[in-house]
Amino acid sequence: MIAPRSPPSIELVGVWKRYSRLSVPIDALRDVRLTLRPGEHISVEGPSGCGKTTLMNLLGLLDTPTAGEVLWDGRPVGGRSERERAHLRLTGIGFIFQRFYLLPTMTARENVELPLRAAGVGRSERIRRAEELLEEVGLQTRSGSFPHQLSGGEEQRVAIARALANRPVLLLADEPTGELDSAATESVLALIETVGAAAGATVVTVTHNPEVAARSHRHITMRDGRVIGDRREE
Amino acid sequence: MRRIRGRSPLRHARLQLVLASVAIAVAVALPVILVSVGGGVSAHEIAQLEQSGYVISVSAAGVHGVSQSHALVPEFNAIASVAASSPVLSVPIDVYHGGRTPTPVLAEGVIPQELTPTLGPSEAGLFPSPLPLGDPTDMIHYANGTYTGPAVYDVLISTPFAAASGVRPGQTVVLSPTTNESVGISYHVTGAFGVPSTLLGPTGAFAVIVPLSDLQVLTGFARTSSTPSALLDSSDTVQVALSGSAENDPAQINAVAAHIQSLVPYYGVSTQLQQAQQLQNADAILTGFYLALSSVGLAVGLIFLAIVLIRRVESDRRSIGIRRALGLPPRWISADILGRGLALAAAGIVGGTALGIIVISVLTSYGTGAVQQAASLTVYDPVLLASIAAGVLVLALVASGLAARAALRVDIVEALR
Repeated sequence: MIAPRSPPSIELVGVWKRYSRLSVPIDALRDVRLTLRPGEHISVEGPSGCGKTTLMNLLGLLDTPTAGEVLWDGRPVGGRSERERAHLRLTGIGFIFQRFYLLPTMTARENVELPLRAAGVGRSERIRRAEELLEEVGLQTRSGSFPHQLSGGEEQRVAIARALANRPVLLLADEPTGELDSAATESVLALIETVGAAAGATVVTVTHNPEVAARSHRHITMRDGRVIGDRREE
Repeated sequence: MRRIRGRSPLRHARLQLVLASVAIAVAVALPVILVSVGGGVSAHEIAQLEQSGYVISVSAAGVHGVSQSHALVPEFNAIASVAASSPVLSVPIDVYHGGRTPTPVLAEGVIPQELTPTLGPSEAGLFPSPLPLGDPTDMIHYANGTYTGPAVYDVLISTPFAAASGVRPGQTVVLSPTTNESVGISYHVTGAFGVPSTLLGPTGAFAVIVPLSDLQVLTGFARTSSTPSALLDSSDTVQVALSGSAENDPAQINAVAAHIQSLVPYYGVSTQLQQAQQLQNADAILTGFYLALSSVGLAVGLIFLAIVLIRRVESDRRSIGIRRALGLPPRWISADILGRGLALAAAGIVGGTALGIIVISVLTSYGTGAVQQAASLTVYDPVLLASIAAGVLVLALVASGLAARAALRVDIVEALR
């Protein structure tokens, strides 16, 4: 199995994704061709329904393309079994969702510990690492709190700590500040930048907020399932 | 700003899980009660059979019973190892005493000297020894099949009958085969005997014992010169006791039974071992029936469990989607659901077993009549109870497996949408 420890070169080669809604086929992605270089901080921009989240799902191996290939360091990952893709998600990819998606029955620390447990990290080591990550995101005093006891900004910071638990090489953030106020937005974006850079991970942020997109070094613009712009800042 | 996670749905979900566990507990309690009480009653019956003094029984189908009973006794007793052969005739008669209305009772006709060795350890102490019935061999009245000898007209009464009727040893009663006292015969009460307790209680047993020939003549089961076409010296069974080590040696018992069968090929000859085996077979059939009956309850309980778990998967779609998105191995998700199902089933098994034991204890302490006596005989068979538990766990595994399968089919993208 692939267990990447350095950011991979990720390539999308002629990727199509077709859904069927009420028996009407919809092409969410159309012939997308992209190459993500290791360590890049990329924003994916575009209006609602343009295919940003679908692109994110394919990059995060949550979904498979209808046609085309997703390559990690030149090796196709789309045809792998669910077990292999789950392992790759666990060990190589960190997810930050718009709605945080913390598990409500677990404390902040337990949420962060979860990927570590699944990766087979021993109890004392994973507690130490979870506490360290919570400290890194400024929540060392809230480790015993349940999600419903946290503010939106705090929840997202726990989600960031969870995403970083297994030191991912690819950090995917889907509208990470979509449900946060401006103060929390600034804090969360700064955190993603900092920890992403510190981990040396490739960071992909999906957003339709120009201010969020402006913090990236590469800007991919989508419309109607196609990549219509790909600009790198010097 | 955000959602307050509702507590009612969580409580509702917990209530469903508790109810599923309770349904399994009730379903487990039913076989625990039926099988344990039924098994206890059967074990008691078998133990009683094994405690009787005779080991071989000769019987005949039909109303005529075993003919020439008196003549068979010396033939059977001549076989090596045979200690006694006791013909027994049971007939309902009426007892008249002190001008009161007659009491219908079950009378038993025996040969006094032959009956005593066929009594088991639990019965022997209940009867006076020797039986005070005048003619120990019952041959004087029988008089080689002519029934012309002098009868002693002695009768023994059971202590429950004595208590109920007020008849005491030393008094006189009239025994009649019909409700007409004038056709009855006056008997002298020479003693009383105790009645071993049975599931039906002492009142279900015979109430008077008279010499076999007396009862045969009284009730028309003898051949006399005046009724040449009547039945021939009949009894219901002839109970055969063996002496010494032979009574505990299956090979010797079978050999004697075979010998007796050769003497009376037209009668049924069964050993106590065969009778015990028949009781055990009947018990096994009853146990199977109880388990089949209980399996309906178990099936309902486990279908309920499967529905609750699948509903739980439906309500946990988001949570399952998150776990799968994070890359948790599918086996973790399956194990979580299987573990939950098995934990509920285990709780149901423990609760159901405890409930069954409590119900049986309550029946033993506060029940009445045969229900209480049956409950008091309860035997808990660890192997059978473990089998029930194992069966429930296997079925719970299947129910949980259905839910786990549903969980692994959750579309991650759909669940996170």
